[in-house]
Amino acid sequence: MDPIIVALAKAAGLEKALAEFPGDVKAAAEQALNNAHGVQIPTDPAAEPWPPMRAGSGL
Amino acid sequence: MTAPHWLSAAEASRAFAARTLSPVELMTALLARIETLEPKLHAFIRLDADAAMAAAKQAEAEIAARRIRGPLHGVPVGIKDIIDVVGLPTTCHSKILIDNVAKSDAVVVQKLREAGAIIMGKLATHEFAIGGPSHDLPWPAARNPWNPDHHPGGSSSGSGAGVAGGFFPLALGTDTGGSVRNPASACGIVGLKPTYGLVSRRGVFPLSFTLDHVGPLTRTVADNALLLDAIAGHDPGDPGSAPTQARYFGRHLDRGVRDLRIGFVRHFHERDVPAHPEVAAALEDVARVLQAEGAQVRSVTLPSLNEFAAINRVILCSEAWSIHAPWLRERPGDYGQLARRRLLPGAFMAAGDYVGAQRRRLQVIAAVEEQLRDVDVLMCASSLDPASRIEDAEETARTYPRQARTPFNVTGHPALAMMSGLASNGLPVSVQFVGRYFEDSTVLRVASAYEKATRWANKKPPIG
Repeated sequence: MDPIIVALAKAAGLEKALAEFPGDVKAAAEQALNNAHGVQIPTDPAAEPWPPMRAGSGL
Repeated sequence: MTAPHWLSAAEASRAFAARTLSPVELMTALLARIETLEPKLHAFIRLDADAAMAAAKQAEAEIAARRIRGPLHGVPVGIKDIIDVVGLPTTCHSKILIDNVAKSDAVVVQKLREAGAIIMGKLATHEFAIGGPSHDLPWPAARNPWNPDHHPGGSSSGSGAGVAGGFFPLALGTDTGGSVRNPASACGIVGLKPTYGLVSRRGVFPLSFTLDHVGPLTRTVADNALLLDAIAGHDPGDPGSAPTQARYFGRHLDRGVRDLRIGFVRHFHERDVPAHPEVAAALEDVARVLQAEGAQVRSVTLPSLNEFAAINRVILCSEAWSIHAPWLRERPGDYGQLARRRLLPGAFMAAGDYVGAQRRRLQVIAAVEEQLRDVDVLMCASSLDPASRIEDAEETARTYPRQARTPFNVTGHPALAMMSGLASNGLPVSVQFVGRYFEDSTVLRVASAYEKATRWANKKPPIG
């Protein structure tokens, strides 16, 4: 397996999953990369995330 | 005369009032049907027959004494097993939570009890409302009443199978990436993902906080409005709940669609993810029917379906990881493989991926809002294929992501899926209608007009 995936999985605390289900961990890492690349991140630096922070509107 | 198990909630309620049917008679008929057909459909994780019959007797006495609580009084409802019902386990169809007994009712279950509805039990789901039809879990996967060799959609799989199979007229499901509308599409019934924030999620096991919705599954549009009336309303205990007064969702059901403007999002199923030809042909038929009923139908363009799907997955995986990380670290083998594979990607999402997806989300919401200024309702595909065979893991993996539901989890607009025909293999195909925020009643209005103009709601699965 790609050593970067192994390192990221260990950093996430997934040693047990790495040992028992290495195929699932590898597939998950590849899927995460594909999904993140599928989003067109706004080029406008001022584009805010949803939902916006609204002071006083919480519980 | 319609067999009791095929009565809609509205019809059952009228029969109770006219004393031509009693809640106990209806419950007796449904329990007999479940005993016969449940071994084929596996809709239930836990049937609570004794409590349901006791509640039916109580409802019968109250109705006889003219203490009628409303149109759902004495009407049975099934509950997806990620929604708390006091005293029953909320297992999420998972070994992880096999002994997790709910200490109180979810808000939606409280509301159903106040309306007099009868809780029949807990229904099968994809594990933790994610994954797919799995064969490595403590309970079997639900199956499709139109052909039990095929899956019933999901993740609210037992809700879809049970409503379509005549086990109960009403069910609750949840929808984070299409999980109410998928079983509605696969099982030929009506499933609504209400506007985000319209229905409380307190007491529902979360999958993805900013995408999760609770919604009704029914055999008719009118029943869908009745069930939404019962469960909608502001809940100050749910951080996502909206302080809206929206209600009486069935008030426009008889108004038809004359002069309504409907935007047909053709590029979802023609260009972005090309649909099965029979799904595409049925969608064109829907457009023709609505035009014949007086609606103005024109093509509109939204951001691509593939990008909506990517945004949904980045947000869903990131939020779900924050919930499941402790179990995925310590008990990865207690998940089924499909759920494990769909939950683990969150471990590999960077904070910037999540925030970036939420920033793009605001832009795609604006794009949908812009179109909904020019049209009253959008229509588009729901599932892009009829349901695959449940044992064919490869075909199920290929077809499950081929859907156009996730855009409206990302945006939070109300979205309804319903039957638009039968494919040549005898399985339902479907259409989706989408409305402006808190105009769920307009979505139901269009669905009702389509239902009345066609005969699909009268079709029943050939299961007995």
